[in-house]
Amino acid sequence: MIHKFSMNGVNVVMDVISGAVHVVDEIVYDIVDSYEEMCEEALVVKFADKYSEKAVREACEEIKELKDAGMLFVEDDYTNVLDMVGKRAPVVKALCLHIAHDCNLKCKYCFAEEGEYHGHRSLMSAEVGKKAIDFIIKSSGSRRNLEVDFFGGEPLMNFDVVKEIVEYAREEEVKYGKNFRFTITTNGILLNDEIQEYINKNMHNVVISLDGRKEVNDRMRPRAGGQGSYDVIVPKFQKLAESRNQTDYYIRGTFTRQNLDFSKDVLHMADLGFKQISVEPVVGQEYEEYAIREEDLPAIYEEYERLACELYERHKEGGEKDFNFFHFMIDLSGGPCVAKRLVGCGSGTEYLAVTPEGDLYPCHQFVGLDEFKMGTVFTGLEREDIRENFESCNVYAKEDCKNCWCRFYCSGGCAANAHQLNGSIFKPYKIACDLQKKRVECAIMIKAKQFQEEC
Amino acid sequence: MKHVKTLNTCMLKNTLKKGGCGECQTSCQSACKTSCTVANQSCENK
Repeated sequence: MIHKFSMNGVNVVMDVISGAVHVVDEIVYDIVDSYEEMCEEALVVKFADKYSEKAVREACEEIKELKDAGMLFVEDDYTNVLDMVGKRAPVVKALCLHIAHDCNLKCKYCFAEEGEYHGHRSLMSAEVGKKAIDFIIKSSGSRRNLEVDFFGGEPLMNFDVVKEIVEYAREEEVKYGKNFRFTITTNGILLNDEIQEYINKNMHNVVISLDGRKEVNDRMRPRAGGQGSYDVIVPKFQKLAESRNQTDYYIRGTFTRQNLDFSKDVLHMADLGFKQISVEPVVGQEYEEYAIREEDLPAIYEEYERLACELYERHKEGGEKDFNFFHFMIDLSGGPCVAKRLVGCGSGTEYLAVTPEGDLYPCHQFVGLDEFKMGTVFTGLEREDIRENFESCNVYAKEDCKNCWCRFYCSGGCAANAHQLNGSIFKPYKIACDLQKKRVECAIMIKAKQFQEEC
Repeated sequence: MKHVKTLNTCMLKNTLKKGGCGECQTSCQSACKTSCTVANQSCENK
């Protein structure tokens, strides 16, 4: 199976199964679709108006060479990898700790219902947090690297408990030969010098939330009293990013139907000095006025292309204006293995969320949905059926994924989005798929342009 | 080749040989939290 696209003056042909990516000229781009169905003679006739016989034969020869080398039209035999993955003993290697089901912002699109997650306001106790650490150590088998994300609501509203959990985990990791990597996600309202210093010393990664331009951010991310958050958080975030040498953090935003010109928000953040930027489409039901609709897709595609072209130029120039955009980053040579690409994020299996009360859910977005409660940190996993359902949810188990060219780049998409929009973790949310595909093409276009320069 | 330049030499198929150790980062933990992006991650078993 192949996928081809043309963007910003480059023609790309991807072999989906081998992962090979080729930059091709116009003639190969034109004939590659027909190559498997037609003989060379027929191709010469078909393209006689556009290309000489010699050129078509030459292009066919190169396509054949790639096919013989296993870099084009490769057959899919990855289903046997699933047996290998299935035989691994179940482990948990990442937890999302809901340190606070409370928030000092009232973001309109919050999947946690403005921080409360379909429940009442609550804070995690140190006892529950420590039990969560015990749980992951016990459930992680021989995995050494374990990830814990402090999430909310707003985790800085319960920061003393964060510190207590980190301290406990550091003691325990030595005893059990583990290596904890902590991440914290914060809206920045309560950030101060002391907290910044602690974060820099203890957190492997920090995710800070900003939607971009002041008017865009403040419309969707107001404070409890209705006033905007931009002026309070931006200076703190700039200071934090600098103090981390502009690495090991992401400034993360959400774009909605109300800012379809979101490339301006990304570039605004870049111009504020941020170097690690992630901005993603909102996920919401169609009746929400901010939700992305099918009809918005062409405009969003254009916007992504505009952003990708600008990013390519900034990479080329280097210096002050350059930055990384998370969703255009792609590792074509050292990326994850096929096994990882088949199973995706690991929600419900390797990755679980813990509520302030210690309840376990498949991920942070399922929290509060009773039918997905899998157990507690005190009792362990009690719903093996839920775990097995998520484990079986790989790209070959989804009708929409198994023949999709993008399946090894997105690994089947987000189970929570699928459940929220289509009522099944096996039925991907189409708008997210369409946008993901566009982002992958943009990412590859940037790589292809850079590659052309080097040649 | 005159018409084709191949961009990546290390192919997906090759990862079968060393794959599946599971030490890599959980995709959703890094920067998104609302969408699954895998292709931009790194392998920890190089």
